[in-house]
Amino acid sequence: MTLYIPGDGFLYRRHPVTKLVFMLCVAFLAFLGPGRWTPLLIFLAALLPLALFSGLVRPYGGALWRILAPLAFFLFVLHGLFNPAGRTVLFSVGPVAVKLEGVVFAALMTSRLLCVLGASLLFVFTTPPSALMLGLAQHGAPPWLTYVIGATLQIIPHMRARAAAITAAQQARGLETTGSLRVRARALMPMVTPLVLSSLVDAEERAIALEARAFRSSRPKTSLTELADPPVERVARQACVVCTLLLIGAGQWL
Amino acid sequence: MIRVEGLTYTYPFAGQPALRDVSLTVAAGEFVAIVGANDSGKSTLCYALTGYIPHHFHGAMLGSVQIAGMDSRSTPLAELVTVAGLVFQNPVNQISGARFTVYEEVAFGLENLGAPRAEMAARIDEALALVGLEGVADRSPYALSGGQQQRLALASILTMAPQVLVLDEPTAQLDPLGSRDLFAAIHRLSRRGATIIMAEHKLEWIARFADRVIALAGGQVVLDGAPREVLASPLLEQHAIGRTRFTQVAARARALGLTSSDALLPVTLEEAVDFFRPILPKAINA
Repeated sequence: MTLYIPGDGFLYRRHPVTKLVFMLCVAFLAFLGPGRWTPLLIFLAALLPLALFSGLVRPYGGALWRILAPLAFFLFVLHGLFNPAGRTVLFSVGPVAVKLEGVVFAALMTSRLLCVLGASLLFVFTTPPSALMLGLAQHGAPPWLTYVIGATLQIIPHMRARAAAITAAQQARGLETTGSLRVRARALMPMVTPLVLSSLVDAEERAIALEARAFRSSRPKTSLTELADPPVERVARQACVVCTLLLIGAGQWL
Repeated sequence: MIRVEGLTYTYPFAGQPALRDVSLTVAAGEFVAIVGANDSGKSTLCYALTGYIPHHFHGAMLGSVQIAGMDSRSTPLAELVTVAGLVFQNPVNQISGARFTVYEEVAFGLENLGAPRAEMAARIDEALALVGLEGVADRSPYALSGGQQQRLALASILTMAPQVLVLDEPTAQLDPLGSRDLFAAIHRLSRRGATIIMAEHKLEWIARFADRVIALAGGQVVLDGAPREVLASPLLEQHAIGRTRFTQVAARARALGLTSSDALLPVTLEEAVDFFRPILPKAINA
C-alpha cells in the first residue's frame, strides 16, 4: 500500500530525509509563519514549481482537488455562516447571513491545509517506502521504527483481505451484516473478534520469523542498497530548518 | 551437529509436558524426518532444536540441547539463529513485512547479520536459484502463491547460511504442486550436504528423501531408524500416524495371504513394485 508514483524528476533525486525535513518545515510554517498569505505563497512559490519540475502536476492537482475540495466547501459554509467572530455581513439569503470574518478564517484554514497536504503529497508521491526506511536507518533511526513503517504499509492490505474473508465466513453462517444501524452494530463483535485473535496469533509467529532472520542481532546492520546523501542534501536540510526558524521568529516579532 | 539429552519441556500454564525425556543426535549432512500425530510434540521439538525453547517460549525445560556445539540455554537466540534456521508452517507470517520485493526480503537476514554489501548479491542469487524463485525477484512477497512464499521463507533462511535447517511442517498449507516444488528444493539442499530436520505429515515424500525417520507420540520418541524400518512399522498405526499408500496396500495383500514373505513392507513406489512383482499374477486372480 503506497502512493508512490515512479519517476525521475527533481524531487525523486532528493534524499528522503531531506524531503521529510522540507515537509515538516512547510507544515510548521503553514501554521506559525508570518502573515496570512504565507501558506498560499509557499504553495505557489515552492510546492507547485516542485510538482512541475518533478513531472507530477496532473496527479498532484487531481489528488489535491479530490481531498481538499470537500473540506474547503464545509469550512467555508460552516465558518461563513456560524463563526462567532463574524460581524460584517457579505450577503444574506432570507434568515441566513454569510459573514466576512468567517470567510477569511475559512480561506486561511484552507490555504494552510493546501500547504500541509501539498507538501505531504509531494513527499509520498516521490518517495518509495523502502527508500524512506533506508534513509531513516542511515540517519540513525532505530530498526524497530523503520520496521514499523514498512510492516504497517504492507500489512494493511493483508488485514483488509482477512477482514473480508472473516465477513464472508460469518455471512455464510447467517450473520446479518447489512441493514439498520442496530443490525450492523450487532454484527461488529463476531467480525472483529476473530480478526483481533488471529492477528495476535500472527504477531507471535511474526516475532518468531523476525528472530529467525536475526532481527535482534547485536551485530552492526548493513544494507542491500546504498542511498547517496551528498553534502548538498545536508546543506538543503539545514537551510530548510534555519529559514523556517527565522520565518517563525519573524512571525512572532511582527 | 545436534545433541539432545533428556529433554523434557512444559509450556507455561500447561498441565502436561509437550516433550518427555527426548534424547537424540543428528549428524552433519543427515536428513532427518520427524513424524507424529497432531500434538505429538513435533513443533515443540523443532523450537527446541533452534533455541526458541527456552529463549522465546519460557516454559519449564529439563535436559539439554547442543546445537553445533553451542548450548541452547546459555547461547543467546540471536547467535543460535545463525547456526540453526527455522522455517515453519504459515508462509505469510514468515514474510518479514519490512521489505517490498522478494529480492529485498531475502536480503533482510543478511542485512541484520551485517553481511558486506559486496557479498549480498551472490548469496541472494544463489538462494533464489536453489528454491527456483529467480523469476520473481522483483515482485512483492505478498503477491506470490503460498508455495512460492514458503520457498521464499526457505531462501531467506538459506541465505543466512545456517549449519542446520529445521522445517516445521513446511507443506502444511500448500497445494500438491507447491508441496512438490518445496520438497524438490529441500531434496536439492540435502544432496548438497545440508543438515536437515523436517517435521512432516506427508509420509510418501519422507519415504523418498529422508535418511532417517523419528516418530513421536505423546512427546516421546517411539521409533527412530531408517525410513523403511520406521514407516513400515505397525506401531505407526497405533500412534495415529498412518502409513503410506504403498505400505497400506502391501499390508492388506499380506493379510489376504497373497504373500508369505517376511520382508519389510514397502514405503516407496519403487519398493512397492519390487514387493508386488512376484505376487502380481496371484493378486490379479484373487
